[in-house]
Amino acid sequence: MSLFSRFMDGWRKYRKPGYYDEFDYHWTMAIDLDKCTGCQACMTACQAENNIPIVGEEELARGREIQWIRVERYWEGEYPNAKLSFIPIMCQHCDSAPCETVCPVSATYHNQDGLNTQIYNRCIGTRSCAVYCPYEVRYFNYYDHHWDSPLEQQLNPDVTVRGKGVMEKCTFCIQRIREAKDHAKDDGRRRVQDGEVQPACVQTCPSKALVFGDRKDSENEVSVAINDPRKYRVLDELNTDSSVFYLKKVDA
Amino acid sequence: MPNIDRRDFLKLVGAGGVSVGAGFMLREANKDATEYLIPHVVAPEDFSSGLATWYNSVCSMCPAGCGISVRTREGLAKKIEGNPAHPVNQGGLCSLGQAGLQVLYNPDRLTGPLKQTSARGSGSFEQITWDEGLDQLGSRLDLLRAARRGNRVAMLTQGVRGHLAQLFDNFMRQLGSQRLLHYDFNHPHTLYAANQRFFGQDRLPYYDLHNTRMLLSFGADYLTNWISPVHHSLGFGESRQGSSNERGRFIQIEPRMSASGAAADEWLAAKPGTEGILALALANHIVSEGNYAGADRADWAVALTDYTPAKAAEQTGIPQSTITRLADSFIDIQPSLAIGGGAAANHSNGVDTLMAVNVLNYLAGNIGQEGGLLLNPEPTSVVSQQQQASYSTLLEFAEAARQGEIDVLILNGSNPVFTLPQASEFREALASIPLVVSLSSFLDETTAMADLILPSHTYLESWGDDFPEPGMGFPVGAVSQPVVSPLYNTRATGDIILALARQMNVGTALPWENMEECIKDGWRQIYERGDAQTLAQGFDSFWTSVLRAGVWGETAAGDSEFTLDRSVISNIGVQAPEFSGSEEDFPFILHPYLSPNFYDGRGANLPWMQERPDPMTSVVYGSWVEMNPSTAKELDLIEGDLVDIQSLHGTVRAPVYLYPAIMPNVVAMPIGQGHQEFGRYAKDRGVNPIEILSPEIEPITGQLASSATRVNIVPTGRRSKLVKTSGTSRDLGREIVQFADVNGVELSSAGSNSIPITEVTA
Ligand code: SF4
Ligand code: SF4
Ligand code: SF4
Repeated sequence: MSLFSRFMDGWRKYRKPGYYDEFDYHWTMAIDLDKCTGCQACMTACQAENNIPIVGEEELARGREIQWIRVERYWEGEYPNAKLSFIPIMCQHCDSAPCETVCPVSATYHNQDGLNTQIYNRCIGTRSCAVYCPYEVRYFNYYDHHWDSPLEQQLNPDVTVRGKGVMEKCTFCIQRIREAKDHAKDDGRRRVQDGEVQPACVQTCPSKALVFGDRKDSENEVSVAINDPRKYRVLDELNTDSSVFYLKKVDA
Repeated sequence: MPNIDRRDFLKLVGAGGVSVGAGFMLREANKDATEYLIPHVVAPEDFSSGLATWYNSVCSMCPAGCGISVRTREGLAKKIEGNPAHPVNQGGLCSLGQAGLQVLYNPDRLTGPLKQTSARGSGSFEQITWDEGLDQLGSRLDLLRAARRGNRVAMLTQGVRGHLAQLFDNFMRQLGSQRLLHYDFNHPHTLYAANQRFFGQDRLPYYDLHNTRMLLSFGADYLTNWISPVHHSLGFGESRQGSSNERGRFIQIEPRMSASGAAADEWLAAKPGTEGILALALANHIVSEGNYAGADRADWAVALTDYTPAKAAEQTGIPQSTITRLADSFIDIQPSLAIGGGAAANHSNGVDTLMAVNVLNYLAGNIGQEGGLLLNPEPTSVVSQQQQASYSTLLEFAEAARQGEIDVLILNGSNPVFTLPQASEFREALASIPLVVSLSSFLDETTAMADLILPSHTYLESWGDDFPEPGMGFPVGAVSQPVVSPLYNTRATGDIILALARQMNVGTALPWENMEECIKDGWRQIYERGDAQTLAQGFDSFWTSVLRAGVWGETAAGDSEFTLDRSVISNIGVQAPEFSGSEEDFPFILHPYLSPNFYDGRGANLPWMQERPDPMTSVVYGSWVEMNPSTAKELDLIEGDLVDIQSLHGTVRAPVYLYPAIMPNVVAMPIGQGHQEFGRYAKDRGVNPIEILSPEIEPITGQLASSATRVNIVPTGRRSKLVKTSGTSRDLGREIVQFADVNGVELSSAGSNSIPITEVTA
C-alpha cells in the first residue's frame, strides 16, 4: 500500500465518528414538534433522573443554569397573529461532534453505541467543548452544588454527582441503556429489544412527542419517524450528523 | 346517533381485557424483568441492595389523579414515572407530577406536632407529642359532641376523593357537624353546574380529544390545568399525529395565549367574557344555515334569534366572517368537539357560557359520539365524589366564624389564606375561631395561623385511594400505597381522624385501626360486588393484584342515555359579563392564570419547579405582569419596569413582561408565587394576584368570578431584572424550528431576522 493510500485510509478512519467502523447500536431520538406542547415535563424528569442540581436565582441570572434538556420558545409575528413554537433541545449526540475533537484530554468521546459521552473524572474544565458545541447544550459546574438535606436522598445512585470544574450534558440516559444491556445479557439475549430503553424525558412526555430507539433496526418506531417527510435536523448545514431528528411542526 | 360502549372506550384509552358487568384489572405495567413490581404488602425494609423496587400509587399534585410508579432503591424514593396501565395518564406525567419527590424530601417539612406558644401568626411554636396534640383536640371535640354542639366544628380540606372523603363525611356526621368544606381554587364549579343543567348529570363527561378532528376550546387550557391535563395532552398528540390520516385541527379562543393557545392552529381573542355569546352566534349560524336537522330545530331558531353573527361580531370583536367560518367548519369537520373553561368560565356569566358550549356540541351531534363528548355511566361501586365548597360558601363560613358560631376549625391541606382574595377577609375571620388546627405537611400561610399543628404524611408515605373525575367512560379506581417509610414523626391524615374518633368514643362507627385497614375494607366491598370470576380468586389475591397494577376499572351495566330537556332550550342565553371597577379608573382587565409550574401555588415550595422556566416566558423564580407590546409602548414601559397593578381591592407590584399574544386592554399575571410562608424556596418571592381580586361571583354557583377584576397600571419609575433562561425569543432566520404543510412539504420559514418590538429593552 502506498504511503498516500495509507494516509487516505487513516484519514477516512479518522473522519469516522469515534474511529468505529460500525456502531453496536445507533441510539437515536425523534422529536415531533407537531406534538410537543412545551409543558417541560421532560426537563423535570431529566433533572430527577440525572441528579441535576439547582443553581439558584443568582447563578441563573448569570446564565449558569444546568438543564440537560431545555425547551426553547420562538415567537413569530405580532398581535393578533402572534404564534409561539416550542422545541426541546438536548445534546444532539453528533456523529461528527465538534466538541470531541477539541477536548485536550479526550474527556468527551464517541462510544461504540454512537453516543457522545463525557468522562467526568477526566474533564479538566477547559470548557472548550462548550465553546465548540453549536447547540449550546453543554453545562459547566461553576461550583460544587449542594442539596438541602434531605433532598439528597432522592439522588439516583446509578448516576454520578458532578463536582466543581466539570462539564456535563445529556447522556441519552446512558445508565438506562447499560441496565437494559445487562438485562439482555442476563436473559441470554444478544441485543436489547426495541422499547426496552426509554430515557426519562421520553418516558414522561404527556403527548408522546419523543421517540427513542436503535436506528440500526430499520423497522422500529424511531426509524419510521426519522424517515418521515417532515424530518429535519437542527443546524444540519454544519454537517454534525446529529442523532436527534425533529419532525417539522405543521402549519395548517 | 351511534353509541359507543365501554368496550370501545377501553380501546380508546388502550386498556386491557374486559368483561361487561364486572370489575376488571387493567394490564400490568410492563417493567423490566429484574425490576420487581411488587405490592407494598411486605415491609418497606424489604429490598435487595442494588435493585430497584417499583410501587404503583397515585399522584396528588393536582386533582387529575394520574397513576404513578415510584422507583425506590434501598428504601429511598428515586424517581416518579407515570403508570403505563393507568387509563388517565398511560405512562405520562406532567412536570409537577415529576416533582412530587421534592414534596417527600422537602427540607421544610413539618417533622412533628407543634403548638403555638404566643400570638397567632407569630411563628413561635413548641414541639409536643402526638398524645398531647390529639388529646387537646380530641377532648375539645368530645365536649362539643356531648353537648350537641358538634356543628361548631368545621373542617376545611383540599378536595379529597375516595375512602378518605368517606371517612371525613362519617367523622363529621358522628360529630354532628354539617360543616365539611372541600375547597380548591381551581375547582370548575361552573362546568359542573352547566353540565348538570344540560345533561342532568352531576358527573363530568369524557371529552374525547384523542379522536376529535376539530377542537374548539373556549378558554380551556386543557394542556395545562383544565381537568386532566396529561390525559388531554395524550389526546392532543394522538389527534395531531396519531393513527388517523386526518390531522386534528385545534382552535383556541382566549384573551391571552395559553399553552393550549400556542399548540392550536388558530388562536383568537374575543373580548373577555363574551366567549359564550360567540358560541351562541356559531350556534345561530349552524341553525340558520340549515345544518341542524333535529326535531327541536324551531325551538333553537327562536332561542338563538338574538345571537346573529353580525351582532356577535360587535359584542365579541371577532369578525363576522370568522364566526361563520368557524361555525361551518365545526359542522364540516367531523367529529368535532367544543370545550369551555379557564377565564371564559370564571366570569359572572360562566355557567351560561358553558351551557352555550354544550349547545354547540348538541347541534353538531357530538354528544355520545366518538371524538366528541361521551357521558359517563353512573358508577355503581366507587365512592361518590365530594361536594366542593364555592367561594360564597366560604364567605358564609367566614361570616359564621365572625358571629362566633365556630369553636374549632380543622384544616387539611387547604390554604385559603393564600387562595382567597383579601376582600374575603378570611384571615381576619380566623381570629374569631378559638381553636384552629392544621393537618398540613408544611407551614403554609394558613397553617402559620394555627394553634395546633398535627402534620400529615405526604402522599408518598400514605395509604389512600382515588376515583378520578371524569371517568374514562367507565369508573376507574386506584390505590395509593406508601412507597417509603415515613420520614418523620408525622401521621397519615386518615389515621389522625381515626385516632380522634377513638378519643371521642365514636370508634364503633369508624372501627378501623388505621387507614390501611379502612382502605382494604372498602376494597373488600368493591371485590364482593365483583362477578364470579373475580370472587373465585379470593380477596387476598384480588387485593394483591390491585396493588400490583395500581389501578382497577369497573364496567358498569347500561349506557348513559341522554335526551335534552326542552326547557333547557328556552333558557339558553348569555348576558354581557360584569366587571368590578369602572373602565375610566381601571382601564385593564386582569387575567389571572394558574402557573403551569405551581398549579394554585402548591408547587412553589419545590426547588425544581422554581428553577423550571415558565413555558411561555422562560422567567424563573419570580412574578411578572404580561402586557401587549403596543400597550407598553403607550405607557412608555419596557421589560423589567416595575409597575403597580391596582384594583378596587388592593395593589401588587411586579415587573412588566411584553407578551406578544395578549389583548391590548388585558394584563395577565400567573398565580402561584407570592407566598409569605411555605418554606425557604417559596417564601417572599414574587406576588400573589389572587390578593387583589374583586369578590365578584358567578351567581348560579357562587364561584369566584376570578376574571372579572379591572385594574389600573401605575408605573413606579423603578426597574427590576427579570431572570429568564432564554435569550432572544425570535428565531432570527436560524430556522431552529421548521414548518411543513400537512403533507410534510417544507414551508419557507416565516421567521424574519429583524429585531421585533418585543425585544427592545433598556
Ligand atoms: S414533555 Fe413532551 S410535550 Fe412536554 S415539553 Fe417535553 S417534549 Fe414537549
Ligand atoms: S435522554 Fe436522558 S439525559 Fe438526555 S435529555 Fe433525556 S432525560 Fe436527560
Ligand atoms: S396532571 Fe400532573 S399534577 Fe395532576 S395528577 Fe397528573 S401528573 Fe399529577
